[in-house]
Amino acid sequence: MFYERHQAWSVLLRLFHWSFVLSIITLVITGLYIHFPWTNTMVIGGSSFPMATMRYIHFIAGFVFSAALMVRAYLLLFGNAQERFWDFLPITPRNIKNLFTTLGRYLYLDVGHEHRLGHNALAGIFYFLTFLVAAVQVVAGFFMLYPESAFWQKWGTLLFVSQQQGRGIHYLIMWYFGIFAVIHIYIVVWNDIFSRNGLISSIFSGAKYISEDY
Amino acid sequence: MSRRVEDQGTGIQVSRRGFIKGCTMAAAALGLAETMVPKLVEAATSPKRPPVVWLHFQECTGCTESLLRASHPDIGKLILDIISLDYHETVMAPSGFQAEKSLDDAVSGNVGKFICVVEGAIPTKDGGIYCKIADRTAMDILDDVGSKAAAVIAIGTCASFGGIQAAEPNPTGAVGVTKLLSGTPVINIPGCPPNPISFLGTVLHYLTFKRLPRTDQLGRPLFAYGRKNHDQCERRAHFDEGRFVEQFGDEGHRQGYCLYKMGCKGPQTFANCPAVRFNDADVWPVSCGHGCVGCTEPDFWDTMSPFYERLPGMTIPAGGRGIVDAATSKGKVILGAAAGAVGIHAAVGVGKKIFGNNEDE
Ligand code: SF4
Repeated sequence: MFYERHQAWSVLLRLFHWSFVLSIITLVITGLYIHFPWTNTMVIGGSSFPMATMRYIHFIAGFVFSAALMVRAYLLLFGNAQERFWDFLPITPRNIKNLFTTLGRYLYLDVGHEHRLGHNALAGIFYFLTFLVAAVQVVAGFFMLYPESAFWQKWGTLLFVSQQQGRGIHYLIMWYFGIFAVIHIYIVVWNDIFSRNGLISSIFSGAKYISEDY
Repeated sequence: MSRRVEDQGTGIQVSRRGFIKGCTMAAAALGLAETMVPKLVEAATSPKRPPVVWLHFQECTGCTESLLRASHPDIGKLILDIISLDYHETVMAPSGFQAEKSLDDAVSGNVGKFICVVEGAIPTKDGGIYCKIADRTAMDILDDVGSKAAAVIAIGTCASFGGIQAAEPNPTGAVGVTKLLSGTPVINIPGCPPNPISFLGTVLHYLTFKRLPRTDQLGRPLFAYGRKNHDQCERRAHFDEGRFVEQFGDEGHRQGYCLYKMGCKGPQTFANCPAVRFNDADVWPVSCGHGCVGCTEPDFWDTMSPFYERLPGMTIPAGGRGIVDAATSKGKVILGAAAGAVGIHAAVGVGKKIFGNNEDE
């Protein structure tokens, strides 16, 4: 079988992906600690500051997360052909058709297969949703981090009304990311097996393999 | 008229010392320099100071009670002394038609000049029939009196955001003043009850500078609601150090550790409780060993309760009536379902591979 190597993802996109992944893992672990601090120092004078440390790490990871999000926002508009949002959102006839073939494929139906270098339209919808959810998460996060800043108060109050509700939504979105991760990893592995285009390695190397007779 | 009667009836008289002391406390709360105190005193004693009309709607009168029964009597007296109360249903002498006349006199004689203090929420359902005074609905009275006032001070969480009346399912359609009144500047002094000093500070600010203090997005004065309780709390060091009360009465509780795990809402609540404290006895809930319940925040009955849990069932703003009850257990179920779906999907794929009806080969 003859495979052709195609560059799919830019360095910047791969950097975005991995900083996003690592920051999310860090944020979930430290976030769960902040939500329910499972340790109790009890002794006075220990100076171990577990809560302060967890929050510190959480905030740093939050900044990495936000930076990654900003990079993705830039790439949505100015990235390479695969990275721009009109390449994968079902807003063109090509992508709407692709949405149905992808759904069919995932249901193990014989509906044919489009060779795509970028995201399929179903993945595209969820990546875009994740992008928006992440933006809400960032606003909620900064609203809590800088409660006295007029800027964040304005946006935070607009979106969440109170700190308590912002905090609740921040927590719920954490679960979204957990659920997203499970499905994302599964689908990627599935595609790596069934589509044989080197999907998993592409997020490291940037290249996908496309075979004409497959 | 009511002033004179009050003076006789309750013997309200503030000594000059007490008066200056009260003004100084308010100046401190406002973040004003000591040199401003004479200005506050001057404004507070000016014979030209605006009259005050005090409206009671759906509420428990706790805000008035907490003002008048402050353990430091000077504050309560000071408030009654500086704001010439022409109409206050709890403390005025007249009743019936006379009371209505007092209100009418105070309003029509001072259009655009008087301060209107509102205590309690306003029911709006079914034409507002759930709260009527002298056969007029609260909506009607607020519309009439509030629109003629120079400024409206909504005292307490009920007048600010609807309070307990507006808690789910809000049978009377209760709302706060800001939802109904436009055209008149409104300031919110939420709290259940609010700190008398926050109210006094707002009034003195208005009398001295002829305008309301700067507010946050929810219309609360920044001098009192600019910071979170959590960021001023005396137990904060325990929080950062990870020393928590696990159960009321346990060792951590006796040691005065942080109440975070007991559902303290200090981290979500803007107020000056730890700084200004209550009753001149230097207390606030956390100093007494009970978590903050977030009473200065909108919809706190719905979003902060049960008070002893960190993240209780809460309403999501944009989602309307959606309740996130025990989000953790739901989250786990959804995560489990996702994993299950993934498993089934994978099993089908594996089956296809094994039984060979895969044209991809
Ligand atoms: S007791 Fe409440 S307000 Fe004080 S530090 Fe703990 S969580 Fe924060």
